[in-house]
Amino acid sequence: MDRLPASQGGAGVRRARRPGRPRLLVAFTALVVCYLFAPIAVVVLFSFNKEDSLAVFGGFSTRWYVALLHDGGIHASLIASLEIGAATMMIAGIAGTALALGLERSGLRAARVVEGTVMLNLVSPEIATAVAALLIFTQLGITLSLATVILANATWAIAYVTIIVRSRLASLSSQVEEAALDLYASQWQTIRLVTLPLLWPAILASSLLVFVMSFDDFITTYFVSGLGVPPLPVRIYSMIRFGVTPEINAIGALMTVATVSLALTALALFALRRTRSGPGVVTDLNG
Amino acid sequence: MRSGRAIFRVLLLPGTLWLAVLFVIPLGLVAAVSLARTNIVGLPVYGLHLDNYKSAFQSYYLPVIFRTVEYAGAATAIIGVLAYPTAYTIARFGGRLKNALIVLVILPWFVDYLVRIYAWVVILGDNGTLNGILHGLGLRGSPPVQFLNRPWAVIGGLVYTYFPFMVLPVYAALEQLDHQLIEAGRDLYASGRRVFWHITLPLSSPGIAAGIVLTFLPSLGDFATAQLLGGPDTYMVGNLIADQFSDVGDITFGSALTIVLMSVLLVVILGYLWTGSRRARAVRA
Repeated sequence: MDRLPASQGGAGVRRARRPGRPRLLVAFTALVVCYLFAPIAVVVLFSFNKEDSLAVFGGFSTRWYVALLHDGGIHASLIASLEIGAATMMIAGIAGTALALGLERSGLRAARVVEGTVMLNLVSPEIATAVAALLIFTQLGITLSLATVILANATWAIAYVTIIVRSRLASLSSQVEEAALDLYASQWQTIRLVTLPLLWPAILASSLLVFVMSFDDFITTYFVSGLGVPPLPVRIYSMIRFGVTPEINAIGALMTVATVSLALTALALFALRRTRSGPGVVTDLNG
Repeated sequence: MRSGRAIFRVLLLPGTLWLAVLFVIPLGLVAAVSLARTNIVGLPVYGLHLDNYKSAFQSYYLPVIFRTVEYAGAATAIIGVLAYPTAYTIARFGGRLKNALIVLVILPWFVDYLVRIYAWVVILGDNGTLNGILHGLGLRGSPPVQFLNRPWAVIGGLVYTYFPFMVLPVYAALEQLDHQLIEAGRDLYASGRRVFWHITLPLSSPGIAAGIVLTFLPSLGDFATAQLLGGPDTYMVGNLIADQFSDVGDITFGSALTIVLMSVLLVVILGYLWTGSRRARAVRA
């Protein structure tokens, strides 16, 4: 952050020298932002459409939300997805944080192999990990259910939490922990009373992120969900394949409000720890 | 740190075991099943058969593999062209709004994956918003323009879905860039264009490389985009794999396709690491 004034000065000088260039770039960026938000705006707008049409807005109405309110199938799917999100978040939050601590502080050579596996998991196309999970479940004779969805989602979720928490851990000075140890705190007390409180924003943020991502995960969930109540994304998928109805607009608008506000909370937690110390939001996300 | 690392070794255990049982071993199983043959009831009989790989590279399926790489490549290139100027503008001219702006740009990514694809069905469909607008503009009576089920619909969907994965690493690279180098270039009377090509772009290349990997790989494995915005002519490997694991499919063939996909991934990752070490050498030199 200490470089900020200099960079702003640089930008100012540039602006003075060639007035046209930033304006063009700013216009381009504005167009990109419009492109990113227009489809979502269309979905939200048409969720309030009085007509069935997706082409013409015939007036304001909440009929599609009312229809949702009375759709028992949707409710069951929503609850299933909330359960998936919550369970995945718990498992990944705990196992991922533990793994991050182990990778960063155990000093084991074998930890490099584990780290490589975490990275491979993160970059693997989701369809490949989903197929792998499906095969292990079917070969072991495990019936596909909500539990298999949670097991499979937690696998990639652990990798996400590990990377985010670990990047925070790496930016912490170990001197604080050494001070605690010098004062005769046990290793476990040090983790509990010193390290974890410092990591808390990163743990919370990554857990929230993983909740949102597993709540609306489609690919893994599609492969390993069984014949029971379909989780929300799987239900939406079959609804879209059956034919587009404005009811999906209403679901989409509600999910957008829910996931975006959770995501903003997670990002605010990142921002919180940036202002305290350490690198910014994006550097952290990149690990 | 000193003694007492035992506790950290214990902490390694749960996550490591989880990844071993639900990621590493299953991947091995995929490889084993890909080399198996199916019996009459569709169960794999393990062995060392290459039949599935032969049929994957047969004239019937090969176009699908090429098409997948083509779509993913086109999507990555378009994302690059859109994302680099965006990240550059925010990093360079964002000022105090920098963080807010980058959050704004990645925010749509948090909207549900299917809802984002569905939004394009709403816009591009035969009875969709775009055709409604064209209709209103006086093209009344003319048949609706078919936007869906075309390659560009699928590529456009991929661009929309994976855009943030390019913006973030490029922005991070540009944000960390030492502005004194740019000032030095300007002081030495380099034009803005030369400063960009000789200083800014090379220094942000690690971000571009990371962005290419992060957008290309998930595009390769995507299947809902081609399923919902495309048709049989725009099928990607992901669709083929998904079909094999449905009731009528052949899981040994599906596994072989998955291994082919993972091999492409490995090539991309190795290429990334190789160019990374070359870049590191170039910096040191």
